[in-house]
Amino acid sequence: MIVFIARRLVISFFVLLAATVIMFVLTALSGDPLEDLRQDASPNKAAKIADRVERMQLDEPIPVRYLTWLGNVARGDLGVNRDGHDVATMLGEALSATLQLVIAATVMAIIIGIVIGIISALRQYSGFDYTVTFAAFVCFSLPIFWVAVMLKQYMAIEFNNWLKDPSIPPVVIGALALLSGLIFGALTVGDRKRRLLSFAAGLLIGGALFTLLSVTRWFADPGFGLPLILAISLAAAVGFTVLSAGLNPRGPLYAALGAALLGTVASEALSPLLADPTWLEIIGLALVTVAVCAGLGYALGGLQRRQAINAAVLTGLFTGGVVFVDRMLQAFNGYSERVRGRPISTIGARTPNFQGDFWQMNLDSAGHLLLPSMALILISLATYTRYSRASMLEVMNQDYVRTARAKGLPERTVVVKHAFRNGLIPVTTLMAVDFAGVIGGAVVTENVFGWQGMGNLFIEGLDTVDPTPVMAFFIVTGTAIVVFNMIADILYAYLDPRIRLS
Amino acid sequence: MTTPPNVPIEPHTVDPHTFDDPAVAAASGQILDSAEEVHVGLTLDAVRPPSQEEILRVENLTVEFPTEDGVVHAVRGVSYNLREREVLGIVGESGSGKSVSSLAVMGLLPRTARIKGRILFRGEDMLKMSARKQRGLRGRKIAMIFQDPMTALNPVHTIGDQLAEAVLAHELMPRKTALARAREMLDLVGIPQAETRLRSYPHEFSGGMRQRAMIAMAVINNPDVIIADEPTTALDVTVQAQILEKLLEVKDAVNAAIVLITHDLGVIAGMAHRVLVMYAGRPVELGETDPVFEEPRMPYTAGLLGSIPSLEGGGATRLRPIKGTPPSLINLPSGCPFSPRCPLATDICRTEEPPLAETDSGGHFAACHHWDKLAAAEDPTEFFRTESETVA
Amino acid sequence: MTLNAQATGPDTASDAQGMTIVARTQGQMVRRRFFRHRAALAGMILFGFVVILAFSSIGFAGIPGWWDKTYLDTGALVNQGKPTLSVVPEFLGGDGIRLGEHPFGQDDIGIDYFALTMRGAQQSLIIAFLVGIVGTVVGTVVGAVAGYFRGGTESVLMRLTDVMITIPVLIIAAVIGRMMGDSGAVVLGVFLGLVLWPTLARLVRGEFLSLREKEFVEAARAVGTSARRIIFRHILPNTIGVIIVAATLSVASAVLLESALSFLGLGIQAPDTSLGQLISRYRSAMVVRPWLFWWPGLFIILIALSINFIGDGLRDAFDPRQTRVRA
Repeated sequence: MIVFIARRLVISFFVLLAATVIMFVLTALSGDPLEDLRQDASPNKAAKIADRVERMQLDEPIPVRYLTWLGNVARGDLGVNRDGHDVATMLGEALSATLQLVIAATVMAIIIGIVIGIISALRQYSGFDYTVTFAAFVCFSLPIFWVAVMLKQYMAIEFNNWLKDPSIPPVVIGALALLSGLIFGALTVGDRKRRLLSFAAGLLIGGALFTLLSVTRWFADPGFGLPLILAISLAAAVGFTVLSAGLNPRGPLYAALGAALLGTVASEALSPLLADPTWLEIIGLALVTVAVCAGLGYALGGLQRRQAINAAVLTGLFTGGVVFVDRMLQAFNGYSERVRGRPISTIGARTPNFQGDFWQMNLDSAGHLLLPSMALILISLATYTRYSRASMLEVMNQDYVRTARAKGLPERTVVVKHAFRNGLIPVTTLMAVDFAGVIGGAVVTENVFGWQGMGNLFIEGLDTVDPTPVMAFFIVTGTAIVVFNMIADILYAYLDPRIRLS
Repeated sequence: MTTPPNVPIEPHTVDPHTFDDPAVAAASGQILDSAEEVHVGLTLDAVRPPSQEEILRVENLTVEFPTEDGVVHAVRGVSYNLREREVLGIVGESGSGKSVSSLAVMGLLPRTARIKGRILFRGEDMLKMSARKQRGLRGRKIAMIFQDPMTALNPVHTIGDQLAEAVLAHELMPRKTALARAREMLDLVGIPQAETRLRSYPHEFSGGMRQRAMIAMAVINNPDVIIADEPTTALDVTVQAQILEKLLEVKDAVNAAIVLITHDLGVIAGMAHRVLVMYAGRPVELGETDPVFEEPRMPYTAGLLGSIPSLEGGGATRLRPIKGTPPSLINLPSGCPFSPRCPLATDICRTEEPPLAETDSGGHFAACHHWDKLAAAEDPTEFFRTESETVA
Repeated sequence: MTLNAQATGPDTASDAQGMTIVARTQGQMVRRRFFRHRAALAGMILFGFVVILAFSSIGFAGIPGWWDKTYLDTGALVNQGKPTLSVVPEFLGGDGIRLGEHPFGQDDIGIDYFALTMRGAQQSLIIAFLVGIVGTVVGTVVGAVAGYFRGGTESVLMRLTDVMITIPVLIIAAVIGRMMGDSGAVVLGVFLGLVLWPTLARLVRGEFLSLREKEFVEAARAVGTSARRIIFRHILPNTIGVIIVAATLSVASAVLLESALSFLGLGIQAPDTSLGQLISRYRSAMVVRPWLFWWPGLFIILIALSINFIGDGLRDAFDPRQTRVRA
């Protein structure tokens, strides 16, 4: 395995090296780097030109410029741009902003896309399936910059305006309730009566929920509160238990419920710590959660110890997540006031000069990340949905799934244990391909939302026919793509024992 | 024309050289070997005889699939019964409904299938059972072995895991106990080094070993009925006999009855107490194996027998393949579905579908208007004489 | 599960011999399956409508169209340039169904926005099609040669493909756009096509690798058929389905790619226009003149969506495995 990875890394290195040649030459040839100075009317025009020619080695042929650049990079020097700014410094600032955006969007797209794709496959020919298929086609056909501009207009500007008086008009409540009813109905397979029943249930639940949120002006000062956290995590405990073990025998269920209860109580007990934690402490808490829940599962799991541990750990982490979101929501009011009631931001990666506690800083990041991430997710989501749906449909028709059913396994085990893992195998290869697409999307999205990120570095460099910033951009993204390819390969090998040996 | 060394057992084309189905091509040519070898090893006579107690009864089963081209009438009224420890062979070409009818018994047909009739397991109708109760029988009381062991095992889980899971699905016990039971079963089906093999993945097994593992999986819960759907078709010729022998052996060990589905008459001859011949979704002949093979009462059965090469004739007897192809299951011809291919067909055959009726005592049934003509003939396959034979 | 219902369908006839099967050619089957695919059919009609509208309305290459305004002439702003198109009938309280003077409205200097959008659609379509055609030809040739010859040729071509694939599509396209943007739609389209072939090349190579081991290729080689003839007469026709589907879908993504480039200012340059460039030009008008933003966006989506549906229909038509018995 290690030999395999090492070999791949060496090959990737040379491929990347060759790609830098193409990028450098094409960029250098893409226009006239002195264009702006030729129209310059200032008296020191000649000096400016001479200066730039010198800095960019314009008197040398392109291959020589490339080799010089490569030599510098090998020594760890990314060079200066045409105005003499250090590219490494520019890159450092751009990198963190873009990586946040790209990685958050990719991870979300993968998770949501696979979940929707699988549900759609399991409910083939249902209303939900048709809707998802159609929506995926529409998403494929959306220009990302158009979506981004629309989001900016309607999700940010209008949403922020609405937050000033967060009551939902009855018409909107009606529409949301209808939507919720339709989703419930579409997810149900069966005769008309059952679907109508589901529709009615969805309608009532949706209507009640949004009316409650509106009447209590929840959006003005959001948060869950302890009882709701407990309710959500207990429900999640039941859900995770059903997925990993089934409700009979009771061992795993008790373990998961215990994890939910313990998590909720701990959130209250740890209140001082949670008031203003650091990321390190959050990660530490997560590790403790995993350990405690694994212990719970081990102790209470009985004959289904493995499944119990799974259910308990998942429940524990989920409860932690709910607590985390709750804290964020509690900080929302204070944050909103500090940014003059406009929490959803449309420009940049953070509010300039904003300082606050852990939660407010996170909210600030989240508020800035929300819209560009949504735009990026929307585009990738369709790919993952279509792909995992097709993969899952194919797997569900495989002989080994029929064998699993023939053994008398419950449908849950058939899907989770036999179909899901096989269905994931081809999706892993998609990750690497899609990541390259996300980087392209990020260039456009950053442009719309005014992020001073990698995309900006690239576009400005290209616009001024300046290879150094373009190449800095390319080295980072190229490496990121290679790394993602590697992760995909390793995941593939992990999921499919057939290729482990070779 | 010389007798080709490899002859398709499923005579669905005019030309016996054509192997349009790779599975058939692979399985061809072994009819002699397997028939012979089955007799060399364990035979039916050596295992415990069936009792009179009936454990499975299928009554008037019909299965239809709505498709874009129309309704596929896959199974059109199948009835049979199975006694304790009995081996019932079901023979027919692809599309004759033999696999679909047994998938119906297992409850493994897709949701879109329209199933009618009754499937009684120890007197209880499985089609009326709750899904939960049906699942409780599946794999515990009625187990199934599939045709292609290459695809029937999940590539990402170990053999031990897949075996143990079959036990754990029905019985709550520590995983260790289930694995021990899996090991025992691997021993039973003759897989060496069972302990280490438990941790192997299917791709590390040969085809024959995988099918043994499938058999182990089927018998791990001591089922009453094992449905074996062409268990040797996808296997190498040399392993086929071993697998069939193993099947009989484990059947005896766990006291199960077998429904053996095949297109290979040689397999049936050596392994089944009774045989059911199916054509176009209907049973066309049913009876004890020897009488059916020696005195077929349905031209289709006779045709099948005529298309098997035989060593005993010293190579002098010619093959007599059935001409034509099976009918479409969407637009069935009127009358007897075999009439377009049948050398005995008359006008009544083309208008009226004959019922399955008793022709000889001892439970020999056939669905043919002209079974008496077959009974009168000395060699029932002579109606399928080829033109070259006539000329000679 | 296979039902193996052989010789189904109304074309089956039986004769005295038993049965004969009326064979349908591959092309007939593909056409039949394609026209059964309702979304693909709708996509085709929609796409045809957009193409005809774009090219006939304002004319193309010197041939005048039926629309009386051009995408360059300014005019007096009517009603702040709001669209005059109305689709709500009078009895429903609307203005009745009419086009009016400026159905899509006018931009800030009074150019008829319908004419401008049509011009943009023309340019976007031209670029997308050139990218599709050039990319497909290059990708097919590279993939076919690499897949058939293997050895040194394959190594060189596939390493080249690997290198090209490392550069994200938008990035390489942006560089090309920066280089060729002011040379017009045709040049831009051809050059974009010249760098956007690697994915197809990989696909075609994969197909070739599996097909070249098939018996019919062995047979052709055994009787001394030349390599060129084997590639073009024996193998290529068998990969045509995969290639057509990939080519169709690449046209759809090229529409989106071109518009993204123009949006970034790296595609078609003013005074000429494309759909993406229109959105870029008027992005700040979102609040005051939202229609300047809506119409080009709508046309991008219509074009991309209809081509995607056509591609999906073609895929189903060429690969009937996916539409087997509804089991």
